[in-house]
Amino acid sequence: MNRGTWLLGRLAQIVPSFLAIGGLVFVLARLLPGDPVSAVLGDRASDATIARLTAQLGLDRSILSQLFGFLSGILQGQLGDSIAYRVPVTRLIGERLPATLMLTGFALILAIVIAVPLAFVAALRENRWPDLVIRGVFQVGLSTPVFYVGLLLLTGLAARARLFPVGGYGEGWLEHLWYLFLPALTLAFSFAAILMRSLRSAILLVLTAEFVDFARSKGLRPGLILGRHVLRNALIATVTLVGLHVGSLLGGAVITESVFAVPGVGRLMVDSIFARDYPVIQALTLILAVLVSLAFLVTDIVQMWLDPRVGR
Amino acid sequence: METIKGLTRRASLALAASFTALPMLGISGQAQAAPVRGGKMIYGRYADSMFLDPVLNDANVDIWVMTNLFDTLLQPTADGTGVQPGLATKWMLEDGGKKLVLTLREGVKFANGTPMEASDVKWSLDRARNPKLGPWGDLVSSIADVAVTNPSTITIMMKTPDPTILAALATFNTAILPQKLFEAAAGATDEEKAKAFAERPIGTGPFLLSDWKREVSMKLVRNPHYWKKGADGQALPYLDELEFQIIKDDSTRLLKLKAGEIHGTELVPLTRVKELQADPNLRMELWPSTRVVYLSMNNRPKLKDGSANPLSNVKVRQALNYAVNKDAMIAIVTQGQGVPMTSFMSRTTPLYFKQDLYKVDVAKAKALLAEAGFPQGFETSTMLVSGNQDQLNIATAVQQMWAAVGVKLKLEPLDNASLTKRYRADDFSMRTGAWTNDIADPGQITSYFAYFPNIGSLHTGFQNDRIDALYKSSLEEIDPAKRAAQYKEIQEIYAVQAPILFLFETPYAVAFRKNAEGFVQIPLGNNLFEAAYVTK
Amino acid sequence: MRAKIPLATGMFLLAVMLSFAAFPGWFTPHDPLEFDFEALMAPPSAAHFFGTDQFGRDILSRTIAAARVDLQIAVFAMLGPLLIGSLIGLMVGWFGGVADAVFGRLADLVVTFPFLVLVIAIVAVLGPGLINMYIAVACVGWVAYARLMRGEVRVQKSADYVAAGRVLGYSTGRILFGHVLPNAIRPVLVYAITDMALAILLGSSLGYLGLGAQPPEAEWGVLIADGKNFFSTAPWISLAPGIAIVLAGLGFSLAGDGLAALLDVKR
Repeated sequence: MNRGTWLLGRLAQIVPSFLAIGGLVFVLARLLPGDPVSAVLGDRASDATIARLTAQLGLDRSILSQLFGFLSGILQGQLGDSIAYRVPVTRLIGERLPATLMLTGFALILAIVIAVPLAFVAALRENRWPDLVIRGVFQVGLSTPVFYVGLLLLTGLAARARLFPVGGYGEGWLEHLWYLFLPALTLAFSFAAILMRSLRSAILLVLTAEFVDFARSKGLRPGLILGRHVLRNALIATVTLVGLHVGSLLGGAVITESVFAVPGVGRLMVDSIFARDYPVIQALTLILAVLVSLAFLVTDIVQMWLDPRVGR
Repeated sequence: METIKGLTRRASLALAASFTALPMLGISGQAQAAPVRGGKMIYGRYADSMFLDPVLNDANVDIWVMTNLFDTLLQPTADGTGVQPGLATKWMLEDGGKKLVLTLREGVKFANGTPMEASDVKWSLDRARNPKLGPWGDLVSSIADVAVTNPSTITIMMKTPDPTILAALATFNTAILPQKLFEAAAGATDEEKAKAFAERPIGTGPFLLSDWKREVSMKLVRNPHYWKKGADGQALPYLDELEFQIIKDDSTRLLKLKAGEIHGTELVPLTRVKELQADPNLRMELWPSTRVVYLSMNNRPKLKDGSANPLSNVKVRQALNYAVNKDAMIAIVTQGQGVPMTSFMSRTTPLYFKQDLYKVDVAKAKALLAEAGFPQGFETSTMLVSGNQDQLNIATAVQQMWAAVGVKLKLEPLDNASLTKRYRADDFSMRTGAWTNDIADPGQITSYFAYFPNIGSLHTGFQNDRIDALYKSSLEEIDPAKRAAQYKEIQEIYAVQAPILFLFETPYAVAFRKNAEGFVQIPLGNNLFEAAYVTK
Repeated sequence: MRAKIPLATGMFLLAVMLSFAAFPGWFTPHDPLEFDFEALMAPPSAAHFFGTDQFGRDILSRTIAAARVDLQIAVFAMLGPLLIGSLIGLMVGWFGGVADAVFGRLADLVVTFPFLVLVIAIVAVLGPGLINMYIAVACVGWVAYARLMRGEVRVQKSADYVAAGRVLGYSTGRILFGHVLPNAIRPVLVYAITDMALAILLGSSLGYLGLGAQPPEAEWGVLIADGKNFFSTAPWISLAPGIAIVLAGLGFSLAGDGLAALLDVKR
């Protein structure tokens, strides 16, 4: 199989996966106890009011006809209106997706910026004090809950020291970056720990590998060896890990967004689950699935480009 | 013939006067600087509005801010118990209360500059009382017909005399909207048009919605055509811009306030009031509210699962009430910011009747339980919203206090939708609850708490024929003294029957930076920003 | 030798936590549920080393008493995925073919979902509480174990002893469970120990969101959430549980790392 067909195959798998995810989340949403209408209308509404809104939203139709409507809607690019907010879900999500993307992207970059150099330092000074200190600190980082790190940073650096804004998103690109720094750092913390650990072992592995000895014996300068071989292999390891962890980063965004009042989709997802806002839950799941699949695909492509052995 | 004459002096003066006279718990007697014009105020809200249509909305998050966009014919006074002129300057009840004649304010314009016509008023009221639209039609169901007598006079004919009609015309759902603009909005049905119109609603209120990102922020700008005048004789509002930022997390919202990133915030957790009071940059405001906090009990002989229900015995319910120390509860849950309930309705509700409700008496509670056949107590449970710290604290405190009389309380945390579902199906023993009035009248809370035919007395199943009869006759009783007597009796019966666990009342806790002033929250909850301003 | 230091540290931390969980009464200075109206939100003092909360309950006692719940979370949130995942991984790794392809798609599907969001959704369906949280974690967490196991099994499949077993006429079941499983399970077990650290973090995150352990069960995440509103005025309320989570997490990951090094399992 050459790379082109391999890529095409990957892409072809995406569409049926999405229909499966769509169907799955549709069923899952309807398994939730309670219904969107009484969740929206609350305790006080009369039965007649509930019945009227239920009919108006088409929630009194059979599950199958609703499912069919939903799936055919996807194919036409129609994802429906939010029940709670009465606006198209695409707009609701569109307003909030950029914040989440920026937050996770920023967190990824921060994690890489933090982890990669430290991994090199740790690996090159294996089992000496820099290595032990770095590993110890990250070990603690890995053992601290995201929300606790967030609360500490928020209270310490933002509220007390006033170095950063407390929460929100700001306006314009520069402000977004400024506002998102602490949330991104919070989110980056545990991923940086994972990344550093794997990277360190990957570098150690390469440093002891035969081809490095071979290169050394050919008289290549250590810097060149590090640059050409070690760096590339470390990059492959990083990319693989990034791909694997995009999903959990997006998940971690739920808590980070909530602590730092970042108007992203993570919080919207949780709120929609609680409000039984079926259209938002469904659309958001699909969009997140698309994003994660894209991240997987990009990872695969980058891997293929870095490492000719991949791509079978 | 009975006539009630409306006030004719300028509403703004009346409003300004009532602000300073207001018995506020937090900032009484504080000298206010002269209002400053212009600028922007940012106010942190715990949740966003959902649907800004006066008739079709269904939640406090909408109701409490809608006053800034729309006006009603009459307006609630700042103490929440009476009415004052709004878009109508005079009103006369004639014909034994069967006819109401209102004189419209002259020169009122909608935020887009078009004048408000009598036809807009008739159309808005007809829409508000259309029983097919929205959950609030009942509040004005006594209206038989609305007629335009002349361009500045509206005549309302009543089916029966309604003692609450003036309060109803000061309630959000009777707000006046521009008929032509609404009807020109996209969509075929009223609901679709409302949806389109509510994207950029136009009213006669002090502000105009300019941008709304759901769950993120809502931006309002000054309505240049607003009719009310400020202290300086110029048109209100003082602010050029008002931004609501949605910050769900309580601690984050307060940190933002402390850091000066927002000017004010609502729903300050009562446990943090003292901390904010001590902050030299902040001003803690505790506005009298109609909010009551209670536990509703299932009064039916059997629970949904068929098991016998000890709570059906009035002695048990009284015992549980006696077993709770409301003062200790207030100290723990609200850090002393609440007051014990002294009726099922708040002190701020018109016709409220004060009673000594179940002072803590553990011995009496034990005796009552023994009389009811539960000398060793029993086991019961309460639903609460998981993750809601206030409800958890209340339930934990009740659990601890009841343990002293042998009653074991199991906590059943559920997410809100699941809880609502079980509540509506009457499938529960107890649940934590809180209530605020939407109208300045005891009728609404009574119809929900005590009058069985509405929602089964908060789904408790409590039914008292005398209360039901009293409530029904109160709907048409226009003699204030007789009506007060009816409500006194209702409250007395309710206290003895104790279908709920009476807990406490809390104020609306709002905090502002010292340089942000002029905000008012009335007991019904409405947030008024028309006279708010920011100094340097 | 160096592997022994983290291993010993980890084991020591775990032993402390375990004794808290087994005999909380020996360590708690006060009754963790007792209200003290004289000492509401009291700062750390000789009477209360880590202060008291808004009910006047002793924070240290509540933290120690919560160890039982959190360790329970660590064990049960790991056990479900471990059993289900290992079994599935063993099967698809051994038999391959259609089952393997289906597994691949299914695993992709599960991984595509943001983990936490999926767990939240499942807990929302089932209702908040520990049991439901275990179910939710099992629904999602099995994939990692299955992948690990599948990889190991595929390596073992070509090992000499498998061929030898075949020659000796052993049944597939005997080869699979008697020989392949014991050989393939080592990295899975090492991963399971580290996973327990993640389980505690997840459990406390859900507790923080109000979806995990429910009162009166005190859990570290819930305790931190309790103190969240007082983070600037009474930070001690969330200090002790915060330290406890970090120490427990550290215990599990150090023990996992140490064990991996000792058994020479590649991470």
